[in-house]
Amino acid sequence: MKPLAGLALVLLVPAAAAVSLLVGGTPLSIEQVAGALAHPHRADTLNVIVWQLRLPRVCIAATVGAALALCGAMLQGMLRNPLADPYLTGVSAGAAAAIAIAMLAGASAAAIPAIGFVAGLGAALLVAALARRGSGIDANRLILAGVSLSTLFAAIVTLAVVRAQSSNYAGTIVAWLAGSIAGRGWHDLLTTAPYLAAGTFLALLSIAPLNALRIGDLRARAVGVDVERAQWVILAGSSLFAASSVVLAGLVGFIGLIVPHLARRIAGSNAVALLPACAAIGAALCMLADAVCRSIVAPAELPIGVLLAFIGVPTFLYLYLRPATAAARSARR
Amino acid sequence: MIELHDVALEIGGHPLLSGLSARIGAHELVAVVGPNGVGKTTLLRALAGLHRTVDGVVRVDGVAIDAMTAFERARRIALVTADDVLLDALAVRDVVAIGRFAHHRWWQWRTREDDDAAVTRALDAVAMSDFGDRLFASLSSGERQRVWIALGLAQETPILLLDEPTSHLDLRVAHEILALLRELASSGKLVVCALHDVNEAAAYADRIALLGNGTMLALEPPEALLNDARLDGVYGIALERIRLPSGSLRIYASDGRRASQVSS
Repeated sequence: MKPLAGLALVLLVPAAAAVSLLVGGTPLSIEQVAGALAHPHRADTLNVIVWQLRLPRVCIAATVGAALALCGAMLQGMLRNPLADPYLTGVSAGAAAAIAIAMLAGASAAAIPAIGFVAGLGAALLVAALARRGSGIDANRLILAGVSLSTLFAAIVTLAVVRAQSSNYAGTIVAWLAGSIAGRGWHDLLTTAPYLAAGTFLALLSIAPLNALRIGDLRARAVGVDVERAQWVILAGSSLFAASSVVLAGLVGFIGLIVPHLARRIAGSNAVALLPACAAIGAALCMLADAVCRSIVAPAELPIGVLLAFIGVPTFLYLYLRPATAAARSARR
Repeated sequence: MIELHDVALEIGGHPLLSGLSARIGAHELVAVVGPNGVGKTTLLRALAGLHRTVDGVVRVDGVAIDAMTAFERARRIALVTADDVLLDALAVRDVVAIGRFAHHRWWQWRTREDDDAAVTRALDAVAMSDFGDRLFASLSSGERQRVWIALGLAQETPILLLDEPTSHLDLRVAHEILALLRELASSGKLVVCALHDVNEAAAYADRIALLGNGTMLALEPPEALLNDARLDGVYGIALERIRLPSGSLRIYASDGRRASQVSS
């Protein structure tokens, strides 16, 4: 990675956080935000907006963006498949199905995140068990098991939405599926912190194996990678990231699939640079998207997942396909 | 030193090779020959500890290979495999540097001076030092093969195993690679190399292991092996032996007749 690109990535996160703190239903000036941040114990509306509403959302958006991007990069690296995304392992679909059923059954709102987390990890374990071959994991089996179980879980969610049409649950379930950070606070972040910390530790353990896996499983084995162990570490780490982000923001698409591609263009495929670049871009993108969601139709909110798909996908296609055509032109010359 | 004690190997639940016993020491280049599908690749993987034996034991310096961790194995044995993989956006030096995996603890992510030196030596040895910054994907198949050999050399192990290292190479490069393996063996490495060309094996190896009929039929010096009548049977074709002016023996398929036709 070029030093300038590295510096830009380092500056991207605080810049996105600053923008995200300034905009929203009540636009704030830099002085107002700085004043509130400098005096955390002052009791006024401004402090409530900054400390209780904006800052936790900014932190949650950053966490969700970083977690999903890391998860996507780890799975893409392990499976050597650029189409792998955080929801491939069934985490999101499993969590969604469990949450939909729990809402129908009248579970309390406080229990919903925990149910989603446990069901998400449970689904990932089930997919991993189905994908198991020998003591390791077969990439094709993992993708097939993940896709088919996700389809089954999606059918359960649809059934739940149909059943819930008469009540007000249908709207809640659909809103949750669309992905949103509305109404989340410090408590949610603290609840998921241990799992995110564990995921981060596993991501650090994955760096060296991910680098070696770039030359294929067999050669990685030959240079000393315990491929089976590495696969379980990567799968566990990415599942913790995905489940935590599902709890914090529902289903947020785009980031986990596409940020790793953007990061690879900037930082290369070496996981030492790629994983931090993914975390930085994912965090910044999610913070900015959440800021737009909060302000564009204020006081209402757009679902962040929908916004990311609408803006992100065309941008990505432009960025990703343009250089390929340029390369093809130069190859023809 | 590698020792095989009555080793049996299976692939996909089907018996492949059995009754393999051998002892190969440092300073030795052993070529493994035999018809396609006989188990050369599987045998090499078993020697590298990457394919479980169903019976018997493979020992490296007296230690059973199954008892070693992946790290310990990779510091003793390098395996250069033949399969091709697609690598996008990876420079040649980056590929070869992956060979240093077992020389790092899990938190040591950056390349050190000794890594750089090992990578440079490995690229020099395969005459690819000018290609370090080139993208792997832009190389010809012969150049890629040399990079894979460099990857194995960068591991800096006393044992080097290679699966068909000359399969994509032209005559000159194939000669250079085999001469390099010869040199590595002379300088103290233990080199085992699966080859499909028996004459190539005879020209460079100290001993040749002949695989056929589900076992190792012979492990002999080239002269003795080329004169072994079982060679015709194993390949299923009549062979002619021709003595070159240099004194070394070579074999050729004799007018395409099958061995059975010749013997009858």
